[in-house]
Amino acid sequence: MRKKLLVVLLVLVAVMMFAFANGQEENNKEELSVWTGYPEMEPFYQHVSEQFKETHPNVEITLVSHPLREFEQKLSATIPADTVGDIIEVSTYAVKKFVDAGMIPENPKDVVDFMTAPGRFSDFVLSNEHYGDKYFGLPQFLGRTALFYNKDMFKAAGIENPPTTFDEMYEDAKKLAKYDDNNKLTLSGHSLRLSGSGSGLGEKFWFVLFPMGGSILEEGATEGTYHAGYNNDAGFNAVRYYLDAVHKDNWDSPEIKHDAEAFELGLTAMFFRESWVIGDAAQKVPDLNYGTAFVPSAARWGRITNIENLYVTRASKNPELAWEFAKLCLSPENQTWMLDNIGWLPSRTDVDFSASIAKTPQLAAFIDSPEGYDEFGYIPISCFDELLTKFSERLSSAYLNAKLDTDDAALRKWLADAAKETNEILRKAEVFGE
Amino acid sequence: MRNKNSLGSSNWLENFFLTRGVSRNKLKQYIFVYVSILPIFCIYLVLRIFPIVSNFVYSFFRAEIGNPTAHFVGFQNFIDLFRDQLFLLSLKNTTIFALFVTFFSVIISLGVALLLSRKTKYGPFMETIYFLPVITPMVPVAVVWKWIYDPTYGLLNYILSFFNIDSVAWLVYPKTALIAIIIMSIWKVVGYNMIILLVGIRDIPEIYLEAAQIDGATRTQVLHRIIMPLLRPIMLFVFVISTINSYNVFTQVFIMTTGSQGAPAGAVRTLVYDIYENGFRYFKTGYAASEAIILFLIILALTVLQFRVSKEED
Repeated sequence: MRKKLLVVLLVLVAVMMFAFANGQEENNKEELSVWTGYPEMEPFYQHVSEQFKETHPNVEITLVSHPLREFEQKLSATIPADTVGDIIEVSTYAVKKFVDAGMIPENPKDVVDFMTAPGRFSDFVLSNEHYGDKYFGLPQFLGRTALFYNKDMFKAAGIENPPTTFDEMYEDAKKLAKYDDNNKLTLSGHSLRLSGSGSGLGEKFWFVLFPMGGSILEEGATEGTYHAGYNNDAGFNAVRYYLDAVHKDNWDSPEIKHDAEAFELGLTAMFFRESWVIGDAAQKVPDLNYGTAFVPSAARWGRITNIENLYVTRASKNPELAWEFAKLCLSPENQTWMLDNIGWLPSRTDVDFSASIAKTPQLAAFIDSPEGYDEFGYIPISCFDELLTKFSERLSSAYLNAKLDTDDAALRKWLADAAKETNEILRKAEVFGE
Repeated sequence: MRNKNSLGSSNWLENFFLTRGVSRNKLKQYIFVYVSILPIFCIYLVLRIFPIVSNFVYSFFRAEIGNPTAHFVGFQNFIDLFRDQLFLLSLKNTTIFALFVTFFSVIISLGVALLLSRKTKYGPFMETIYFLPVITPMVPVAVVWKWIYDPTYGLLNYILSFFNIDSVAWLVYPKTALIAIIIMSIWKVVGYNMIILLVGIRDIPEIYLEAAQIDGATRTQVLHRIIMPLLRPIMLFVFVISTINSYNVFTQVFIMTTGSQGAPAGAVRTLVYDIYENGFRYFKTGYAASEAIILFLIILALTVLQFRVSKEED
C-alpha cells in the first residue's frame, strides 16, 4: 500500500515539475503578429521572421494576410477594438482616419531617428509619414508606375525607342494598333483602363492627368483642405486623350482585353503598371521581349508613388519588439530580397540595388528617380477612396460616350458635374477648401 | 420557507393553466417544447433579431466603422438617400433586374415543370440537370459566366459567330451589361422554382385531371381551369421568394464588375452592391443601414401586395 502511495506521489511530483517547467517556458515565450493586405508579401515576412528568430528564439511570429479590400475592412473592425495584430502593413491614405482618431501610436524616437537619417528615404516618402510634428509608420515598400512596352511590336512598327512625351506615345499607339479585315481592333496600341468597378480606373486616369498638369485633388486655401483638381484644361485634355484613343483613332477599345493580361497575351503594345508585372510576366510568359520606360511627359513629368507602411498598433503588448521587427524588414539585405523575390519596390534610397537592376533591367524605370521626375500619391484623407471610386464610375461611362469627344461644351459640363460630386464628398468629410 | 414559496408559485402557475383548460399532460408537453426551442430562439435572437434592430437604430445615426463617435441625425440619412444619384440608379437597376428575373424565371420554370410533370424515363435525370445551377456556388458560376461573356474569347460570341452575328462586348455597355446579368441570374434560379412548381403540380389530385379528360377538356383548358388555380398558393410562394432574392442580388454583380474586363459598376449597380460599397468600402454604416431599411420596406411592400392580389383572386 505504502509502495503504491509512493509511486502515485512520485508521478504527481513529476507531473507538477513538468507543468511548472512548461509554464516557465510559456512565460518566456513572446508573440508577434504581422498583418498584411498583400498576400504575395507573406514569403517576405516569413523570410524576415526566420532571421528575427535567430536573435529572438523565444518569439513566436504569426502572419495574417487577406486581399486588400477585405484587409481594410478587417482593420476597421479590429483597430478600434484593439484586437488587431502587433504590426500592420497599410497604405498612408488608408490609415489616416485611425491616426486622426488617436488609434495609431506615433513612432518612438529611435524609429524617427532611423527614418530621418540623411538620404534614407526620399523627401516625398518622408513628407507622407508625418502629420503635424509627429511621425507615423515606417515606409516598407512603394507602388510606382512605369510604361511597359513590347520590344518586338515596337521593332515591327519601326519605332526605335519608347516614347518620352505624350504626343509621341499617342502617335506610337496609332502605329502599333492592329485591325482585322472588318477594321475591328484586335491589338491595342496602348491599353488604357476603360472599364471595371472600383477606384483603379480613376487611379489609371491620374497617370495621364498628372502629366497634363492636373490632379484628382488640389490643396485648398487652408492647410488640410482640398477641392477637385481636374475641372480645368488638364482634366479636359486628359479625358480627351482617352476619348480620342477610343472614338477618333480607335487604337484602344473597351471591347478588347486590357491590362497585364492583354500585355502578356500579346494583345497590346504598351501600358502603364506597377513593378509586380515583372514577376508576373516572368512566371507566365518568360520569353516575352519587353522593356520598361519612365512615364512620358506632357505639361509636366511625374509618376504615382503609393507608400505601404508598417505600423505598430496600440494593441501590441510588446511594441519595442514589434518596432525591432519592423526595422529588420527595412534592412538593406531584406529590401533587396523583397525586390528580387516579390517585385515590390523598396522604400529606402540609401541602398544600392544595382545588382538587382543588372539582373532585371526592367526594374530601372521604377527605381531610378531622374531630376525633374515628380512623384504624386494618394491624399491621406479618409474619403479619398470614395471620391476616387465615384469619379471612376463617371469616367467609365464617359469613355463610352462618343459625343464627349466632339462636343467641347458637353465635356466641360461633364467635368464640372464630376467635380461637384467630388467637392460634395470633401465637404461632407469637412476637408473641402476653395 | 423559500421552498414553500417556490412550490406555491409553481402551484399558482399550474392552476393558471389548469383553469384555462390546459391539462397537466399538455402543460408538460408545452414546457418540453418551449425549453427545447429556447436555445435556438436565443441564437436567433442574437444573430438575427439583434442585428436587425441595430440596423434600424443605426439608420438614424451618422455612424462610421472605425470612428467610435456616432451622431444622431434623425431622418437625414433617408433624405440624403433620395438625393443620391447612385442610390436612385441602384434602385432603378434593382427594380428592372427583379422584374425581369422574377417574371421570366417563373414563366420558364412553369413551362419546364409542366413538361417534366409527365412521368418519363429521363424525367429524374432532366430534373437533376435543371437543378444543378442552383446547387453550384454563385462565385464560380459568376466567374464562368464572365468568361462566357468575354468579348474576345467568350463562348457566347463564338456561338453567335456561327450565325454571322458580330461579337458583342456584353459586359462593357450599360444596356447589355444588365441584360447579361439578368440572363445569368434567370439561368441560376430556374431550377429552384421548377422543383417547387413541379412538386405543386404533382400534388394536384389525379382525379381532377382524369375528370377533365372524360369531360373532353383540351390541354389548354386543363392548364387554365385546373392546374393554374390549384397551383396559385405555390405560384405565390415562388413569386415572393423570387422577388426577395432578386432584390437582394449582389454576388454576380460584384464578380462581374471586378477587374479591368469587368462591367462598368454604374451600369449594373444594385441596392445591395450600393449598401456593400457604402458600408464596407466607405465605412458609412449609418448611411448603409438606412439603405437596408429602404430595401426591407420595398420587399415588405411587394410581399404584402402579392399576398393581397392573390387573396383577391381567391
